[in-house]
Amino acid sequence: MAEISFRNVTKRYGTSVAVREASFTVQDNEFFCFFGPPLSGKSTILRLILGLETPDVGEILIDGKTVNGIGPAERNVAMVFQNLALFLHMTARDNIRFPLAERKVTETEIERRLDEVAGKLHIRHILHKPPGQLSGGERQRVAIARALVRDPVAYLMDDPISALDARLREETRVELKRIQREMGKTLIYVTHDQEEAMSVADRMAIMEQGLIRQIGTPRDIYDSPASTYVARLLGSPMMNILPLAPEKGAAELAGGAIAIPGLVRGDTAEIGLRPEDIKVAAWTEGDGSRPARVFQVEPLGGYTVVTVDAGASRVRVLVRGQPDIKPEALVALSCDAARVHRFGAKGAAMPR
Amino acid sequence: MNLATGPDNAMAQPPAARTPGRDESARLGFRLTLPAQVLVLFIAVFPLLMQLYISLTDWSPLDGLSWWMAWESWNNFYNYYDLMRDNRFWSAMWRTFVVIIVCVPVEFLLGLGLATLFVDDFRGKRVFYSILLMPMMVVPAVAGYMFFMLFQSGGPVNDVLSIVFGTRIAIAWLSDPTLALIAVMIADIWQWTPLMFLILLAGLVGVPQDQIKAATLLGASPWQRFTTIVIPKMKAIIIIALAIRVIENFKIFDTLYIMTGGGPGVATETISVYIYKLTTQDLIWGYVAAIALAILLVLSVFTVYAMKRMAAAREVEA
Amino acid sequence: MSTIRLQNLVKRFGDFTALRTMDLDIGDGEFMALLGPSGCGKSTTMNMIAGMEEPSEGRILFGDRDMAGVAMGRRGVGFVFQNYAIFTHMSVRQNLAYGPRMQGKPKSEIDRRVVSIAKFLQLTTMLDRPAKGLSVNILQRVAIGRSAILEPAIFLLDEPLSNVDAAFRAVMRTELKQLQREFRQTMVYVTHDQLEAMTMADRIAVMDHGELRQVGTPLEIYNNPANVFVARFIGSPGMNLLPGQPSESDGGLVVDLGLLGVTAPLPEPLAQALRGHSGEVVFGFRPEQATLGVAGRGISAPVTVVERIGARTIVHLGEDETAIKVVIDNEIDAVLDAAVLVMPQMDAVRIFDRATGKAIGGIRG
Repeated sequence: MAEISFRNVTKRYGTSVAVREASFTVQDNEFFCFFGPPLSGKSTILRLILGLETPDVGEILIDGKTVNGIGPAERNVAMVFQNLALFLHMTARDNIRFPLAERKVTETEIERRLDEVAGKLHIRHILHKPPGQLSGGERQRVAIARALVRDPVAYLMDDPISALDARLREETRVELKRIQREMGKTLIYVTHDQEEAMSVADRMAIMEQGLIRQIGTPRDIYDSPASTYVARLLGSPMMNILPLAPEKGAAELAGGAIAIPGLVRGDTAEIGLRPEDIKVAAWTEGDGSRPARVFQVEPLGGYTVVTVDAGASRVRVLVRGQPDIKPEALVALSCDAARVHRFGAKGAAMPR
Repeated sequence: MNLATGPDNAMAQPPAARTPGRDESARLGFRLTLPAQVLVLFIAVFPLLMQLYISLTDWSPLDGLSWWMAWESWNNFYNYYDLMRDNRFWSAMWRTFVVIIVCVPVEFLLGLGLATLFVDDFRGKRVFYSILLMPMMVVPAVAGYMFFMLFQSGGPVNDVLSIVFGTRIAIAWLSDPTLALIAVMIADIWQWTPLMFLILLAGLVGVPQDQIKAATLLGASPWQRFTTIVIPKMKAIIIIALAIRVIENFKIFDTLYIMTGGGPGVATETISVYIYKLTTQDLIWGYVAAIALAILLVLSVFTVYAMKRMAAAREVEA
Repeated sequence: MSTIRLQNLVKRFGDFTALRTMDLDIGDGEFMALLGPSGCGKSTTMNMIAGMEEPSEGRILFGDRDMAGVAMGRRGVGFVFQNYAIFTHMSVRQNLAYGPRMQGKPKSEIDRRVVSIAKFLQLTTMLDRPAKGLSVNILQRVAIGRSAILEPAIFLLDEPLSNVDAAFRAVMRTELKQLQREFRQTMVYVTHDQLEAMTMADRIAVMDHGELRQVGTPLEIYNNPANVFVARFIGSPGMNLLPGQPSESDGGLVVDLGLLGVTAPLPEPLAQALRGHSGEVVFGFRPEQATLGVAGRGISAPVTVVERIGARTIVHLGEDETAIKVVIDNEIDAVLDAAVLVMPQMDAVRIFDRATGKAIGGIRG
């Protein structure tokens, strides 16, 4: 149906490469997210999909057809801008009709599509109002309706909610997820907020300096990151990445302060431990392991982030609830061997 | 939201993209401005070429020849040679230089001072603003006549000075070589300070307020804020204002000529006055063409220099 | 002494009251967060502390000194703007050196301080670069360094991390805390991000529409919100608040949630407090203090969205008035559209009066 594919696409600006050998396929009806730090190429990929840029190498396919030479107007891909770009002097209804009026669609057809889209987005009751009289959420839905009324193959959003208050961001991302599911259209989304990406995406692509490092469901990428780079990007607090001293055994991770029974060494150069996978208990002399000293306790209410000095490393542990742990206390850390991430040379993940 | 730019990131921002759409709009732009381009050709380029041609001849309308026959009195750059040795020319240049050196800085400082007063609101601001702009709106020739009357021996300027000093003052301003030049400069300053004021006010208002607040919070006094934040941020505007005034001041004519006619003698003969006299009285138009071309060259060099300084200033500021 | 006391502070802009009668005491060396949504008055309060605005009523005291009439350059406070207000026509070094330079400090001392603060904020390699065009992350540090170099006793930060990308925010939070700990300054920090406030602050002042709603340590506010606004605003996600009517049952006092059913009996101390109260209430429980099940007592609701965001999974149930969120462990799989039972931990439940929004009942031990 309406798949969007990139085959080995590279885009350069002068001497620097914005996107390098990108290949992926976005399925029909998928909420696909491009995630990475600023300037990793995410926005460039959106521009390539839209047709505002042409690839230097490679092909872009929409619905099985190569669209490299086709301009943005003909590609039938819609964009919802961060600032929504609604026409303030028109009512919501006229805003939504606008793309169709330009395209010489019959009046009855316009009304039909308008009604369909407005119904799905629950905005029928506000169509007569101008954007100035609408709430932020309503305005966003009008902007989405305007994009969808053209019945595009897909619609795109570039970091649409980063300008909102934290609380509003949390609520709006759920709203966007719901809308996408109800509309049943492909949505391609760009963000640099890892929690947002994991929350909304059906599948996501992790980007680093123009390269796609990993593609998969948020769950899969979180559970099995392909490299230390990807592992560090997802999850808050960040995954603890600790070097494994080559000559000694498992006991010598973090100065022996973290007990991981049954850990297999192999060629592991670095060990990754997610903060929520590390268990904390009070340390007693007879334990046999070395103690770790609590450096800082940050209470978040439902969770507590305990930062601990283990050997030469500083490790962060996410503990449920409000445990009775004080700074300077001595604790024993342990972790299930099955939850450990192992990374080899150059940060590549090793099979679990 | 602001994302990263700058040296710690290897990626470039997309520059003005060279997409098919962009080339098209460039072509359309070219076609739309074609009429204007043709006009410029006729009123600037052709006359310039004509002038170049004539400046290499001894042509004068008294010869009875049409201008394109001027080649008959071809003199091969002799005009330019004469120009170098023309004492009257160099005196005129010197006088023009003096006028610029005095008028432009005075106008600048007065304009800047006035602009700082107008940054914030106060009662009657609009009224004062209109009054301040009036001198600029007076026709220069009329201003010339006005100041001619003002600086008469029995005129208002002397009357005011008499009151101030308590004795009868009857200076013959326009008959004294030095005083005449001063009078002319006063007239120019009166007339063009408002322009400086306008331009500098626009520049002043464009200085980012939050940086000024930040400076205040860091302990800077109003003078310190002025010199370390306001003026540096206005650099581009200041250069524009100065460049405009220098070029215009160089050509000073209307007001001056009506006031003094270039006199007494040649005491206030600036370069424009000299050219005017050569053209209308001596009618040696070939020579005049050469002078005009030489001046054009000087002013062009100056303009290019000023533009470069301005581009550099805009690179540095926010 | 660098304590700050706000007494009866009011600020009006024409007809609009931005801040209503605010009273707040900030201790010496304390990290106080002013937390609230846009327009709650937190920035206005901060601007008045800095001296950029004059209060319409009330006083601001630094220690024992009344700050009325003290100009903004003379209060000895450091200020970091939301958009940094970096001097873009100067280099990083010149920005850092600006304060001491304006105050006439000798050149050798200025250089020494610049080097030292640059080292602390990891700006040493950037010192001679022009400030224009640098990334937001670096500008952030320069903004902090520019104020910190004067070693002010009081440091004010106006949403300094809101322009910074999410990953870098965590790094900067740690750096800011370290800065405060090292220099023992009194820090007032304005933010709309409750997570930021919880992580960084010693105490949080929660504000809404110009009013102070509650002041306390992060845990105090989390565990014992004084009203529904605080209960909903604090926590990721905020507390679930469902309207209901208390009613007696065989097992004890329960809350009738209408369409959602009836809750389990409330613990005795809470029930006692509630019996003396009349009218509708709001039944509150935190998403991380509830479990999901299929049988037994609980609130029935259909699953609408499941957010798997790494360490936690947030399950959204119901919608609009009856929306509920629950945070569950990752091992459990929540199926969309299935109806499940939400079972709150009854000893962590909070009750609020529906009309006033105020909390009813005792403090949890």
